Amino acid sequence: MLMTTLKSREAIASLVDGKAFIINCHGCKEVGFPEAEANELEKELCDAGKVTGIMTTDYICNPENLKLRLKAYIPQIEEADTILILSCGVGVQTVAEIFEDKKVCAACDTIELPGYQGVTALEVDCDQCGECFLNITGGICPITACSKSLVNGPCGGTKEGKCEVDSNMECGWERIYRRLEAQGRLDVLKKCPTKLHDFSTVKATGACKQSE
Amino acid sequence: MNYPKFVLKDKAELDALLADKDNLFVVSCNKCFKEIETTEEPEAAEFIQLATEQGKKITGSVQVDFLCNSVLTEKKLADVIPEGTEYIVTIACGLGIQTVAAQKDIPIIAATNSLNYIGHHGMALTNKTCGACAQCYLNLTGGICPIVDCTKSLLNGQCGGAKNGKCEIDPKKDCAWENIYQRLEKQGRQQEFIDQPVQLRDYSKINHKVITEYVKAVRENRLEGFYGGVHPCERKEFTEHVALQRFPEPEEVVIPTSMHVGAPATPIVAVGDYVKVGQKIAEASAFISANVHSSVSGTVTAVEPRLHSNGKEVVSIVIKSDGKNELHESVQPAGKSLDELTKEEIVEIVKEKGITGMGGAGFPTYVKLMPGKPIDYVLINGSECEPLLTADHRALLEFTDEILFGLKAIMKAVDAPKGIIVIENNKPDAIEAMKAKIEGIENIEVCEAATQYPQGAEKMIIKRAVNRQVPSGKLPADVGCVVSNISTAIAISDAIQKGMPLVERIVTITGERMLRKANYIVKIGTNVQDLIDYCGGTTGEDVTIKMGGPMMGAVLTNTEVPVIKGTNGVIAVPTDHTQEVACIKCGRCVDVCPMELAPLNFAKYVDEGNAQALLDANIMDCFQCRCCEYICSSKIPLVTKIGVGKTMVMEMKKKC
Repeated sequence: MLMTTLKSREAIASLVDGKAFIINCHGCKEVGFPEAEANELEKELCDAGKVTGIMTTDYICNPENLKLRLKAYIPQIEEADTILILSCGVGVQTVAEIFEDKKVCAACDTIELPGYQGVTALEVDCDQCGECFLNITGGICPITACSKSLVNGPCGGTKEGKCEVDSNMECGWERIYRRLEAQGRLDVLKKCPTKLHDFSTVKATGACKQSE
Repeated sequence: MNYPKFVLKDKAELDALLADKDNLFVVSCNKCFKEIETTEEPEAAEFIQLATEQGKKITGSVQVDFLCNSVLTEKKLADVIPEGTEYIVTIACGLGIQTVAAQKDIPIIAATNSLNYIGHHGMALTNKTCGACAQCYLNLTGGICPIVDCTKSLLNGQCGGAKNGKCEIDPKKDCAWENIYQRLEKQGRQQEFIDQPVQLRDYSKINHKVITEYVKAVRENRLEGFYGGVHPCERKEFTEHVALQRFPEPEEVVIPTSMHVGAPATPIVAVGDYVKVGQKIAEASAFISANVHSSVSGTVTAVEPRLHSNGKEVVSIVIKSDGKNELHESVQPAGKSLDELTKEEIVEIVKEKGITGMGGAGFPTYVKLMPGKPIDYVLINGSECEPLLTADHRALLEFTDEILFGLKAIMKAVDAPKGIIVIENNKPDAIEAMKAKIEGIENIEVCEAATQYPQGAEKMIIKRAVNRQVPSGKLPADVGCVVSNISTAIAISDAIQKGMPLVERIVTITGERMLRKANYIVKIGTNVQDLIDYCGGTTGEDVTIKMGGPMMGAVLTNTEVPVIKGTNGVIAVPTDHTQEVACIKCGRCVDVCPMELAPLNFAKYVDEGNAQALLDANIMDCFQCRCCEYICSSKIPLVTKIGVGKTMVMEMKKKC
């Protein structure tokens, strides 16, 4: 699950020397696409005579879909010095691969959001660590809810329930404690042997995915 | 592409986990991003077998699509967990497990481990992935990502350890920096790279506060008002500030006897008859039917089947106009004020003057005015959520008094204590105008609704304005509401105040491919091609003409059809050439369906010919708003398939 934000005007201006062809990707618009800012930017660039064409489509990360849509714009793309992409990093890389000889630029920065499917971002996150700890933590993930990903309890640096690393964040272990307390299950923690986070499972599953 | 998202923990671990536990309820997720054919995943059955072998009691189990969709999961798990359940065993990825854990007081057991994989966004798996570092470097590197593709995520060039173009850490992997160099060389951009200052990776760019606030806001926005919905590009700027004009008098009108839901009206004029404006020319033939009136004065030249915008031939009355627009004697004001008119009189006028819902569906309005149930609210639907269309917007600005009169008449007819005019916040001028007009009226208010498609659907607007949910298969009156379109309110006002039947309406002529774009008051029966010609015709190739908006409008393959009572727009837009690929079960259609359905399954069941499954999945609740097809990452023509599916269900019902 990704959201995109527009780079600064100066950064974008420095990318567009000569003329640009612009591609907007609205596939994840319901997740996060800076539509109003993008429209404003494109209008400015058009008014300055720097644009050969604009294509607004969706899911440019799907190369087959993208190639099909690009067909109608080939002359405008050839005329352009730069292809300016408003999408996440996956989209930019997909276009860059199709137009290997062209300067393909990203007008956006991409930020990761919790939750990896559907449209609405989630308040919970899963790091796909390969050794689920949720059984000992009342269903709150210590890997993602604790900024230090501790698996055996709080670090001790908590102040008034907030994380010492990021005071905007609640202490994940305090949340875990409260939930288990509410369920009368604190003994789960007490009886639990010391856990080790086995990073090899992360690698192993990653490799298993790659081979498929 | 059926890669696993999670695997069952190994037997030893599960045995230890279950040792002191019993009375288990199993919730499993059907997984996402996979081929849709296999619905049932094996893990749940494997777990249940393992637990049963241990002598554990399983109190029940449920399989859910997209367990991490917290709104739908909450509803699905509402009544299924039996008394006596001590633990909920969750078989899902970490997102699903945490979603269940957050909703239920019963302790959960995670029976699975989640696996990580590459390219988890957009379309299924790709080799390219994005590290979402919040400071895109692709501009420096010719579109090859140094964060993801370089094992060491180096930003300023290669480490020096590459051998024969391969990474020193993983010899199967290309050195990303060698690829970057080669691509820049090919483009003649090495100097540009050399001139770059040293790059530092700023980890503070991904800020917990920014992300949590964004997530909170996006969840609130998406779940405000009603579940689901989308935000298509509006493109209303073409015509929203173009004042209404009267379309020139047509030389001939073709008025179908069926412009409404229900039985066609019966013609009561014959070829050669002279008719006047407002004269009844066809009479309602059933309870659900509507009268039809002439929109011109002139001579009837034919009563015969003519092509209708629904693609079928419908008996129509063709009238050659004499251009005089003589009014018929029946066009007389009610002669009484609204206070003096009785409920029954209002219903009778609405029935007599042939008024139907003008938002598209065309349900006879008088039937709505006799709900037979207590009504708390009358909602006037000014959301006009369809992109491009501005007919209601202009009406709100230019017929404000008439809309208010229409609303009061409906409130009187159904005995409603309160009236609400719902306007989307992309029409601030209309909201202002209406607010000024209702000042001092206690029982009428304006509801400013955040723009979201399909807010104009009856059930959505009720949820948004008064937070009531119309249950599956029920009508607005069942929750104490009557909803009326803006143009319908104006038509009611005209019928009472002027005695004028529904013989004209506002039509937006617009779209990227329409040469001139405008809003016209058009007589019913005017030829659509004449409207297009008057606007200078279409431009460019690849033109699709639709009657209605781009989302729910019907494609017109032949434009020699008349404007009917429900025609709110005629648009010319670029043809969509997308090609369907296989469903990847990304779940987006489920996330946007305002009726909380699972459209992906409809496509599957239609392909399988399984009408019973379609019925069970509540296909009849779908009102074909096209949100699912709009968002579909595989471009599956879901609305067409759902149309086929509904026909299948109706045929199955007939047989029974």
